[in-house]
Amino acid sequence: MDKTPYIIITLALLMGIGIVFFSRLGSNDSTSNQPIQNVQIKDGIQYVTINANAGYLPRVSIAKAGIPTKLVVKTNGTYDCSASLVIRSIGYQKILPQTGEEVIDVGIPKAGQPLQGLCSMGMYNFKINFN
Amino acid sequence: MKTYTFHVSGTHCASCKIFIEDALSGQNFIKNVRVDLKLETVEIETDNDKDPRALAQILTEKIKSNGYKLSVEKSIAEKQSSDVVWKAIPIGLAFLALFFLLQKSGILNLGIGGKTTPVTSFIIGLIASVSSCLAIVGGLVLSLSAKVSQDNVSDTKTFILFHMGRLISFALLGGVLGIVGSAIGINFTFTAILGLLASLVMMFLGLNLVGVFAKNKIALPSGFFNFFRRIEHKTFTPIIIGFATFFLPCGFTQSMQVSALGSGSFMSGLLIMLAFALGTLPMLVLLSFGSASFAHGKHAPLFFKSAGVVVIGLGLFALLAGLAGLGIINPLFSI
Repeated sequence: MDKTPYIIITLALLMGIGIVFFSRLGSNDSTSNQPIQNVQIKDGIQYVTINANAGYLPRVSIAKAGIPTKLVVKTNGTYDCSASLVIRSIGYQKILPQTGEEVIDVGIPKAGQPLQGLCSMGMYNFKINFN
Repeated sequence: MKTYTFHVSGTHCASCKIFIEDALSGQNFIKNVRVDLKLETVEIETDNDKDPRALAQILTEKIKSNGYKLSVEKSIAEKQSSDVVWKAIPIGLAFLALFFLLQKSGILNLGIGGKTTPVTSFIIGLIASVSSCLAIVGGLVLSLSAKVSQDNVSDTKTFILFHMGRLISFALLGGVLGIVGSAIGINFTFTAILGLLASLVMMFLGLNLVGVFAKNKIALPSGFFNFFRRIEHKTFTPIIIGFATFFLPCGFTQSMQVSALGSGSFMSGLLIMLAFALGTLPMLVLLSFGSASFAHGKHAPLFFKSAGVVVIGLGLFALLAGLAGLGIINPLFSI
């Protein structure tokens, strides 16, 4: 049997799967250049808002270091994995209500120590950089 | 007393040795049976002085229904199997690509708002069964089903027991969550570790289905396989696996568990979890009985190897995601 066509199809499919997995990371650079209004400072407290529904948006946020910060995670009919939120660095884990807002106190973040949130299965994540 | 050596085909597992030896030594004219999986031969001592061809035929009758065949000449089927792998890899990858594209497309992100009722949890079950949860629960079901069918353990009974065990335990555990309320939470680390275990089982079974271990079948002592075979035959094993799927990491399952927790009574918790499990049933039944029907068809070798490729891919995905979820590695991807 001639294996060449099968090897070519295999390589093409592997590339296809690779694109599916990593394309979000590529497109993310273009979106993160645009200013996303998800960081607000009110009464001396910084609020970072993340939408959780089939993943977290925005994937990468930039916030200020050195001020008390709270994370607001909004769910809206969220039943998928992004509802079960884990933030290892502050030891937080909770299954969020299907629809609502969860306010999480993350203390006073230090510059250069990003905060990373994951869904419990690990396939969705978001990151907040502090500077 | 004479000794005959036959070639045997269809020995895909270490437990096959035990099975053939058991089946053949049950014949009263046979004194001694020795199966060599490496050489794929069966050595028989008998005082029956029939023609070896006739004897091969008689003995094949005893083990034919389990997929084994004895012959005097070496069968030429071997050449074929290496070609099958090359067809199976693109088929398996095509299914994986389709699955991940489906996740990425966002079709599955239907907004179902409002209160969780048994009807909504049934719909959520339907969605969950084709979502990323399929990677872990479906992958496990597919790998176990294909393995069970390949080993020719009475598969229909095993599958029914598995699905019954799953439905009943979802209903009962849902009810329990309804009573206890928020007093207990299901620990994320516990489910993540369980998920890692499941992904390792999937990858091991996947490699097994593809036939990576075919060349060194007797790497593990046959005592271990004897034990495994006895477990496979036990009635309650599929029920326990069905029960364990309740704790496998799946965002949808966890959301439903929280809804059951908040529902406040045994009955309402039971109904929510039962409706959810019923929603996931069609897809899982399709996976298990679909694999059984392929396994008994003429494309069986191609099916097992393609299923193996799919399961390895899903297992790898679940493993990497699970490690990221536990904070052991950085998340590599986000679909």
